[in-house]
Amino acid sequence: MSFLLASAEGSEKEGFVSPGPGDFEFPGIFSHDSWFTKPILIVIVATIIVGVLFYLAARRASVVPSKGQFAGESLYGFVRNDIALDAIGHRDGMRFVPYLATLFTFIAILNLSGIVPFVQFPATARISFPLVLALISWVIYLYLGISKHGFVKYFKNMMFPAGVPWPVYILLAPIEFFSTVIVRPLTLTLRLTFNMFAGHLVLLLFVLGGEFLLKDYGGVVGIAAGSISIFGSIVLTFFEGFVQLLQAYVFTLLTALYIGGALADEH
Amino acid sequence: MSSGADNSPPDPADPTGEEAARRADRKSADDAWAATGLLISGVAVWGGAGYLVSEWLHNQVFVMLGLLLGTGTALYGIWFRYGRS
Repeated sequence: MSFLLASAEGSEKEGFVSPGPGDFEFPGIFSHDSWFTKPILIVIVATIIVGVLFYLAARRASVVPSKGQFAGESLYGFVRNDIALDAIGHRDGMRFVPYLATLFTFIAILNLSGIVPFVQFPATARISFPLVLALISWVIYLYLGISKHGFVKYFKNMMFPAGVPWPVYILLAPIEFFSTVIVRPLTLTLRLTFNMFAGHLVLLLFVLGGEFLLKDYGGVVGIAAGSISIFGSIVLTFFEGFVQLLQAYVFTLLTALYIGGALADEH
Repeated sequence: MSSGADNSPPDPADPTGEEAARRADRKSADDAWAATGLLISGVAVWGGAGYLVSEWLHNQVFVMLGLLLGTGTALYGIWFRYGRS
């Protein structure tokens, strides 16, 4: 943090302040210190969009689908066939499709808000939102594992994989426990957060840097380099869109895999 | 890829060829992260235990012992889970 601030101060002579973590802090919308900030607003709007989307898709469902119904069913079918049934299996997969489809859509909208014009901030770049979603997944797979196998047997399966020589268990069991119960939700959170964080930072750098080069630096060099930078930001915006959808998919797929692992008979 | 709004679930009885390969591919999506997670856990758990012991006995060698032990065990765990074909 201090390093980033120092570099920003160092470049102040030339007048360009590079974007940093400060660009992810927003003042309150109505009053400066209020909790109601832009990321909160994005999350509220995204929640409404998800609800309306699936409501419209399910209302008046007919054999010959309308456009909205077709879009909703395509999304739902994708999550069901490519995530739930593949990762959890046909016996248990179907009952998790509603949650997984909602999760995928919600994260995708929060991510894509990073490239929607005039919104242009991925709410998932603030760690609290992915953290809560990861904690929900965490509670679900622990609950399912414990309720299916029983408390003792679930942790025994997790910590003592069959076939390991018994002296190694003393060393391996705490590691297995730590990696499943503590590292899993953390990697789930950090992967989503910092993919969005880094992507947004790169976009900011290209746009703000290009603007500075064109307007303030000027000259042939400034205009040439600034044009390249602005053009690069357009290309990167499409790339970001791809990454944002991919990360929503990865988060949902891993949640499904963890559910499938908790319900599996033996590890 | 599933085909659009085709609302029929795929046939569960017969996961042949492409379908089975795709499913195996999905199931291995977490392998790299799980292996990394195991390695981090080994370092954190036994390195952390070694640190506590070294604080207690005022001898730094236990940190190193714990780190080596944790890394070694985690590598064994990774080999045990993914390395045996």
